[in-house]
Amino acid sequence: MPALMMDEVRKVYGSGEQAVVALDGVSLEVGDDELLALVGPSGSGKTTLLSIAGGLLRPTDGAVQVGPHRIESYGPRELTRFRRTAVGFVFQGVNLVPFLTARENLLVAAEIAGVERRRARARAEQLLGELGLAGKEDRLPARLSGGERQRVAIGRALMNEPALVLFDEPTSSLDSRLGAQVMELIRAEVKGRGTAAVVVTHDLPMTRYADRVVEIHDGRLVT
Amino acid sequence: MRPARIGATEVLRRPGRFAITAAVLALLVALQVVLWGLLDGLTGSTTGAYRALGADLLVYGPASRAALLRSQVSPELRARVEAADGVAAVGGLGVTLTWGRTDGAPVPTDLAVFGYERSTGRLPAPPPPGDGLADRSLSQEGVAIGDVLAVGPQGVPIRVSGWVQDASYLGQPGLWVAPATWRRVLATAAPDRVLPEGTWQALVVDAEGDAAAVAARIARATGAEALPLDEAISRLPGVEAQRASFLQLIGATTLVAGLVVALFFALITLERVRLFGVLKAVGVSSAQLLGALALQALTVTGAAYAVGVAAAVALARVAPEEVPIRLTGGRVLWVAPVLVGTALLGLATSLRRVVRIDPATAVVGR
Amino acid sequence: MSIALTEIRRSPLRFGLLTAAVGLLLALVLFLATVGGALLSRITGALERQSAPVLVFAVEARRNVQASLIAPGVAERVAAVPGVAAVAPWVTRGFTLRTGAGLRDGTLIGYEPGGPGAPTDIVEGRLPRMNGEAVLSALDAEAGFEVGSTVRVLPGGSPLEIVGLAEGASFAVQPTLFTPYEGFTAIARRAFPDAGPVLPSVLAVAPAPGEDPVALARRITEAVPGVEALDRQTAVASVPGTDAIRSSLGLLLGLAFVVVVVVIGFFFLIFAVQKADVFTLLLAMGTPARSLVGGLALQVVLVVGVGSLLATGLLAALATTGDRAFPISVDPGLALGTGATAVALSLLAALGAVRRIVRIDPAAAVRGGGGELA
Repeated sequence: MPALMMDEVRKVYGSGEQAVVALDGVSLEVGDDELLALVGPSGSGKTTLLSIAGGLLRPTDGAVQVGPHRIESYGPRELTRFRRTAVGFVFQGVNLVPFLTARENLLVAAEIAGVERRRARARAEQLLGELGLAGKEDRLPARLSGGERQRVAIGRALMNEPALVLFDEPTSSLDSRLGAQVMELIRAEVKGRGTAAVVVTHDLPMTRYADRVVEIHDGRLVT
Repeated sequence: MRPARIGATEVLRRPGRFAITAAVLALLVALQVVLWGLLDGLTGSTTGAYRALGADLLVYGPASRAALLRSQVSPELRARVEAADGVAAVGGLGVTLTWGRTDGAPVPTDLAVFGYERSTGRLPAPPPPGDGLADRSLSQEGVAIGDVLAVGPQGVPIRVSGWVQDASYLGQPGLWVAPATWRRVLATAAPDRVLPEGTWQALVVDAEGDAAAVAARIARATGAEALPLDEAISRLPGVEAQRASFLQLIGATTLVAGLVVALFFALITLERVRLFGVLKAVGVSSAQLLGALALQALTVTGAAYAVGVAAAVALARVAPEEVPIRLTGGRVLWVAPVLVGTALLGLATSLRRVVRIDPATAVVGR
Repeated sequence: MSIALTEIRRSPLRFGLLTAAVGLLLALVLFLATVGGALLSRITGALERQSAPVLVFAVEARRNVQASLIAPGVAERVAAVPGVAAVAPWVTRGFTLRTGAGLRDGTLIGYEPGGPGAPTDIVEGRLPRMNGEAVLSALDAEAGFEVGSTVRVLPGGSPLEIVGLAEGASFAVQPTLFTPYEGFTAIARRAFPDAGPVLPSVLAVAPAPGEDPVALARRITEAVPGVEALDRQTAVASVPGTDAIRSSLGLLLGLAFVVVVVVIGFFFLIFAVQKADVFTLLLAMGTPARSLVGGLALQVVLVVGVGSLLATGLLAALATTGDRAFPISVDPGLALGTGATAVALSLLAALGAVRRIVRIDPAAAVRGGGGELA
């Protein structure tokens, strides 16, 4: 079963004369350990596609399946549950909770998913170690570098071992050296765990880390 | 990290953000507790004597409008009251507001000298003529058992022979004396209000059965004003007005507390819209977020309550003696649920905003 | 500055609601202050609006008219003090009044017609000419209890005909009747037939022409043992209970001001947070922070200023339609003072918002994001 399957997905914002078509009949499949790069100019629909795959937005039309979840018909409550366990999200602005330490930012994801505290802690320690953050578990985000924060955000996305991880411009605020490091890390994590990933990026050199590159223009995929 | 713990962690790690609100709330709590204390103190010192009487009914003369000082109950009226159905026991009562001083005291102290005939409630039987049972508050003014008070303009000597707890009247400490002693005080301190022998200002009545029903029967049968003790207490000058104005004040502070909490949470919700968006995006539900916020509200109000009560207790300790603050555990506890309820109501104003935060804002920004 | 005004024009609901809330709170402040003043005057009015500039108390009464009794012979000694032109007895007691409007608690004051201690502000009818006549505190007049009606004083049932109304002459927040002293003693005797002589509560003293009341009061206190003489103003200020009312009112007013300040402070702080992006942009475009702060101050002044006007209007409306038993009027000085205090305190309260604005880094406009998240 593919990790992500989108079939003829349309997303229209607004209605009547003010309607804006953000996605126009997008069909896409991402295999279960595939790293897919999604590129396109601003306003092309990348972020909308990512938000629909992550259960943050509902499509106007079409079908979306993430693992066993047919999420296009989910209500808000089911979507919340879905986001807790089935997908991981790394946001463009990193978006860590500023008053929680690196470890606690990871624990948030596990505990809301109902993972038992001791297991969650062990998993967080392990992930932080793998991400090269050993010794920095108790630091608040303000005391971490940009790359370290990005890695904490990746760790948070991976905490619940989701089948699909979505990355929104993960290298946009990093210099090219750090960006490359992060992309390597993403690739290593995805391949090491057999997780699927979709990486939205502006940064064409970064697409070399992907198994496949898909381009989007005006809400349509151009392969 | 469950959402509730995230909320608690925020309070611990960023106390500054919550400190101002907690401080304002603590002030309001202190104010409320002090107001209750003042109300209880004022009411207590106004009504102590009546409460000490502990009888079922008080009977005043016709058209006296429940004012002891202008009421007259003649022996004939008394006989009719005694004969009324449901009346078990009757005793005369009279008061004179005057002053007294012990030998060598620089300033006289206000006194409410009560003449009475029989033991009721907390009052023992009248002391022998020339002796008096004093309200214990007089001991704070240096009066001791065995001291002789010179009472009224002519200095009628009355020896303090015992204490009565909480028995003052209209803010003046009570001095409870035998009928003959009271009449001597009355003749010198209020010569134009002297009553003939056997005439009292009011009667203290023990009733058989329902006090209100007996009061109504007495009033019908005799034309006297008969009131159950509770009603007589609330008709004491100032009691109702005091209660009403203090309750208004307390209500106003409660309202302010609610407003402060509402505004505060509106503010920090607004500041944290993006944070909430991210939490929702990673799967935290609106209910969990609201639970965490409620926990924060409770933590803040709990801390404010503790500090406020401590401040009120300290204030009551250092307040000058003439400020009659009376703090009781019951009142102090009563402030807590009102405060918590108000805080949660205040928080409820942010409910809609929190529920409507779109998790997609985590991706697409504000 | 014009951005601040444009913003108000574009968000009439938000600013309108805030202005209305401030207006209501300030109306509460004004109402409390006005009613408080009226209440105090109803407690002490009879002392304030009587003709004697000096009043002599029994020293043991500690300035409480109702506790004071002047012993026989004291009046003569007071009259002998140099600078005293006239001395008259002045007595007050509580009774029940049977009026055409029902039973009322009442205060009777006995004074010497033609002597010091008479009510000063007769607004209807005339002063009593003989025993059995009285003037009533004007506020308490009602149908069946007005000029021309006769009340009965209980106990005893002595009749008193009301021949005039005296403005502001209440005592102890009760309907108050001024009647000749001799008539008063007759009423008291009939009420308490077995009682002794009626002793004056205080002595009303008229100073000789050119005599300073304060100095004369001091001389009387020194010359006559067992008395304390006070000038009228001090006597009024010393009425028991008025201090408590003044301080409770002060507390209430303080509290109401705190509410205004907290509400305004929080409102503009929320505003500053909401508009952080706009402020950031304006700062990045080169708008000086001080002009943003100026705009905020202008908004505060406008909101509180208009709120004050609203409050004054509300009070004026209340004054015209209000309860006849407790009439109030708008005091322009009070309204102005309250408004000015509110504006000043609100500007202080807006400092939190100012701090926010000043601390904004214009570079954030370029970087984007920032804010609450790391």
